[in-house]
Amino acid sequence: MNGNPSSRDSNAIDPDWVDDFLFTGKPTDVCLRLPDPVDRGTLHRLVAEAQTRLGAAGLRPGGAVALRLPPSLAYVVNLLATWRSGAQAILLDHRLTDHEADRALRRLTPQVVVAPVRTGGAALRVFVEVTEGVTPYGDRPAATDHAVVQLSSGSTGPSKVIGRTAADLVAEVRRYTQLDGVALPGERLILLPSMVHVLGLVGGLLYGLHAGVELVPPERLSGAAVLDAIGAADSPATVLGVPFHIGLLAATQLDRPLPMFARMITGGELVSAATVRSFTDRFGVPLGNMYGMTEVGVIGTDLHGRHRPGIVPAPGIEVREVAGELRVSCPASPYLGGADPSRWSSGWLHTRDAGTVDPDSGLVTIRGRLDSQVSVGGMKVDLTEVENTVAELPGVAAAVVVWDDGITAYVQPAGTLAEETLDHQLAERLASYKRPRTLRLLDQLPRTTTGKLVRSVDTLRTAGTS
Amino acid sequence: MAGQPDLGRGDLVAMLAQLTDRPTDQPERIGSMELAWLVHLVEQRHDRRLDLTDDQLAGIRTVDDALVVFQTALAAADG
Repeated sequence: MNGNPSSRDSNAIDPDWVDDFLFTGKPTDVCLRLPDPVDRGTLHRLVAEAQTRLGAAGLRPGGAVALRLPPSLAYVVNLLATWRSGAQAILLDHRLTDHEADRALRRLTPQVVVAPVRTGGAALRVFVEVTEGVTPYGDRPAATDHAVVQLSSGSTGPSKVIGRTAADLVAEVRRYTQLDGVALPGERLILLPSMVHVLGLVGGLLYGLHAGVELVPPERLSGAAVLDAIGAADSPATVLGVPFHIGLLAATQLDRPLPMFARMITGGELVSAATVRSFTDRFGVPLGNMYGMTEVGVIGTDLHGRHRPGIVPAPGIEVREVAGELRVSCPASPYLGGADPSRWSSGWLHTRDAGTVDPDSGLVTIRGRLDSQVSVGGMKVDLTEVENTVAELPGVAAAVVVWDDGITAYVQPAGTLAEETLDHQLAERLASYKRPRTLRLLDQLPRTTTGKLVRSVDTLRTAGTS
Repeated sequence: MAGQPDLGRGDLVAMLAQLTDRPTDQPERIGSMELAWLVHLVEQRHDRRLDLTDDQLAGIRTVDDALVVFQTALAAADG
């Protein structure tokens, strides 16, 4: 590392990759339409200005910035400014409660926190108008040299912490450039997933900047707004989303021809054959899907919808099956903190996804989770985290949380406990997407003869309705 | 209301059932995704855009909350 050691911490990240890899192309090229166009020159100027603010708040190369922002221009600018300052970006979903965010900040000790002081715009915005506040937090350097640190719902209560280096992000963007069936330079990406999470971040923002693909978040989260975004220009448009967005589009009346609609690609769980049919019948364009994880990004794809339910491993990614579990090549452990050989060992990530790899075709088929993780609108939620949070609430004697077409909590109160009180306490501790959709208070939770809590959905359902 | 009968609780439950492929026993609580879905279908059904704010949506926890907010917004649009 060069530079003055007193002002530059040992984990400083080479900032050049931002200009060399992401800010390629002409300054007049439009990179974002919000819907007003933002060109590269303007974005670069905004990033440089944000660097000054971050530095004034105490950020040094090798430090970390926690970004607690909804998808917004402010988020994009501060993320790029963090990297261009040679610092680490800690991405906190803006829906996390104060309780969850404070716990993350205490653990990760950023030098600066960026959070909204004001948000504007109407409801259901995909991209939000944000005025951000930049606040000094700590003075320690980042714990690692990762460019980005993300939290994933953890299986043992607190979130697990995942880090990725700049080289790893660059390698993932390069994987996208080698895929047949993604948006090409000069085309548009109608971006629905949050840029705070891996699909929207790498498959959307970073790939778009690198490849010269315009990023177009619809004006708001509705089928009509997505169709408006597609029809707003003549260049080919790829819609990137999660399965929920397929249903949203399939339920929208198509009131004009959209010859520029090239394809839709979703991450997250596999969709049913009926959903695929209703989408392709309506729009006549391919519906592709991708499989990926926060830890490594895109793992495999079926971008033309030809191999459903199988996917082809992405270039440079190896997938193998060990005792029914899919393992993915990943040279270094992506986890911060103590090594857990049950999650990563010897260059392989243990996905905890059940699946198979066809020895002849190499196609990978995912067959569900081997642990208690579920997907809520593309967001991974570990039911154990939810259950531990419910069980630790005052007034709760025991709790079981299961997936029953939605997160469902069965709660045995200690004394009197109003459902409303429970609701209120959960809203303080869990982000909205992690909260149970159904709460059932039972005098006694079903138990086995040895006193263990029963987790069978059928048994719980029966107990909850009797 | 543009030829549509008044929006009722049963309509919202039926809309949620389309999303979950679960015909009955809809959870009482709804999340942001379900809410986006309901807004979308109510707007299509009534062929108008609901003028809602984030604060209004943030206050919605249940199907009954949603019904009140939607009915108010539809009445305002009828002006």
